[in-house]
Amino acid sequence: MQRITIDPITRLEGHGKIEIFLDEAGDVANTYFQIPELRGFEQFCVGRPVEEMPILTNRICGVCPEAHHMAAAKAADAVYHVDPPPTAKKLRELLYSAFYVTDHTTHFYALGGPDFVMGPDAPVAERNILGVIHKVGLEIGGKVIQCRKYGHTVVEMIGGRKVHPCTSIPGGLTKGITAEQRAEIEQMGRWAIEFAQFSLKLFNDIVLGNKAYVDLILGDAYTHHTYYIGTVDENNRVNFYDGRVSVVDPEGKRIGKYAASEYTDWIAERVEPWSYLKFTYLKKIGWKGLVDGKDSGVYAATPLSRLNAADGMATPRAQEEYDKFYSTLGGKPVHQRLATHWARLIELLYAAERWVELATDPEITSDNYRTIPTEKPTEGVGIVEAPRGTLTHHYQTDERGILTKVNLIVGTTNNYAPISMTIKKAAQAFIHKGAVVTEGALNRVEMAFRAYDPCFGCATHSLPGQMPLEVIIRNARGEIVDVLKQYC
Amino acid sequence: MKTLILGLGNPILGDDALGLRVAALVRQRLPPGSAIEVDEEYWGGLRLMERLVGYDKAILIDAICTGTHPPGTILRLGPDDLPTQHTASSHDVSLPTALQMGREMHLKIPDDIRIIAVEAANVLDFCEQCSPAVSAALPAVVERVLAAVN
Repeated sequence: MQRITIDPITRLEGHGKIEIFLDEAGDVANTYFQIPELRGFEQFCVGRPVEEMPILTNRICGVCPEAHHMAAAKAADAVYHVDPPPTAKKLRELLYSAFYVTDHTTHFYALGGPDFVMGPDAPVAERNILGVIHKVGLEIGGKVIQCRKYGHTVVEMIGGRKVHPCTSIPGGLTKGITAEQRAEIEQMGRWAIEFAQFSLKLFNDIVLGNKAYVDLILGDAYTHHTYYIGTVDENNRVNFYDGRVSVVDPEGKRIGKYAASEYTDWIAERVEPWSYLKFTYLKKIGWKGLVDGKDSGVYAATPLSRLNAADGMATPRAQEEYDKFYSTLGGKPVHQRLATHWARLIELLYAAERWVELATDPEITSDNYRTIPTEKPTEGVGIVEAPRGTLTHHYQTDERGILTKVNLIVGTTNNYAPISMTIKKAAQAFIHKGAVVTEGALNRVEMAFRAYDPCFGCATHSLPGQMPLEVIIRNARGEIVDVLKQYC
Repeated sequence: MKTLILGLGNPILGDDALGLRVAALVRQRLPPGSAIEVDEEYWGGLRLMERLVGYDKAILIDAICTGTHPPGTILRLGPDDLPTQHTASSHDVSLPTALQMGREMHLKIPDDIRIIAVEAANVLDFCEQCSPAVSAALPAVVERVLAAVN
């Protein structure tokens, strides 16, 4: 048996790794995707006041602190049995919408997009944001930078800090926004809508206009029939900040919706001996291993999952794109994982539209942005949709509000099973007679997990961006017969 | 000359906090009213590049895990050398790519970027203390930073 190791970060601690085992014929026998987990966060939190969690948990992740801030704030609200006033919820969601615009934009232009704009076989040195700029035009880079700047500005205005927001506390926020700030936020949001529409047009022209790419997206190599989850509002439309988590089966039928406090009725966790990270699955369906189908409790929680789990988008332009998405790809649900990139752009447009909706809400500048908690703290769960998947924070405290138990299920944990399955299938589709593995074939395997944008260890921020890649091919005796390296 | 000293790190992730600690110590050593800016940052990739815009010179302090040096070893690097903990991001681009993008966008990127990296012993366990080897190295790192400024 031969063994190929795709080691995304060869020189740094805390890395993810793909191991591909080949059979005697050189075809893929099995794959293992391993993610090291940062250790001890839950224990680090126990013994601290629960109101510290919104600022503490946003240190878990260098990429989406806003998501942890929001999930922690909602869990802390629940622990104190306090319902924040509408203005507080709207301000949080406004901040969160601006964050989503920034995050989805960065992913598309820096990570997901280059595979399509430059092509999966392009040299790795060109398959990045610089390649996109060179091919499509310098002004794209300027728009990306501008978009990020606006997003960061809104986060700072509402969240109090440029980097890690600190204004959400049990019952609401520590401050509101002024009329002048509101006007500025609205103006930036309107620009973001135009930018999101521009991005969708770019995707339409470059990806959907190219039959080879459409075939790649629709092909079997990246297709899995699993359950999907995603938060929806009272009308079953996608919502990032609040609602109930909708669960649909592989045929698209909704099997239920759960509130944050009910998550343990739906989601279970299990450990595999070869991985640090737990696998989650749908408790009501059960664990049948890393397999597709209606009898397997494997589910995904991604931008694509959110669209599949919902009945539509809550804003008009995004709804148009939602309809086009499903009519183009053959109806609901869409199982092709590379379509996640398109779904992400539809969410980008929704987030921009929601940004403006909230910025123009008459209540947004109200001074009523906090309800003082009066109940004794006990236990609470907070759920938001992080860009990479449903994020759940569960806290228990003593009567003083001191944490006694903490459990987090982060976006990538939800997706560990489907990511592993997608990598295996892509490897089987693109690697044959393993002695001649090309960079293009390896990139197609990488594309399998790039679609999910997994957060390794949800804070293991020590990974190079374009994933310097080392592939070691070993023969049946474990001897190295070939080494492929690519750097950028 | 506009100079930025930037400590990079996560304050609750063991040795990953060393850049932040060095920044705090350097701040104490600079004379009152110094034109040199000292700050802390937590991001890699595009965000780090955006933070560097507008300066002539930048000195970054960060943890590194080469696995080939004893913990506490001080390394002086340029942006194109080995990636340190925060000069890379799995979710956007590496620092060299981000800097090149910034220059192509005609942003004012510092001509002189130095990275002072310290070999870390532990960046995987959440705790508020640095390891003994890294803690012992901090005074020497501060001197290196001050020397680099001058």
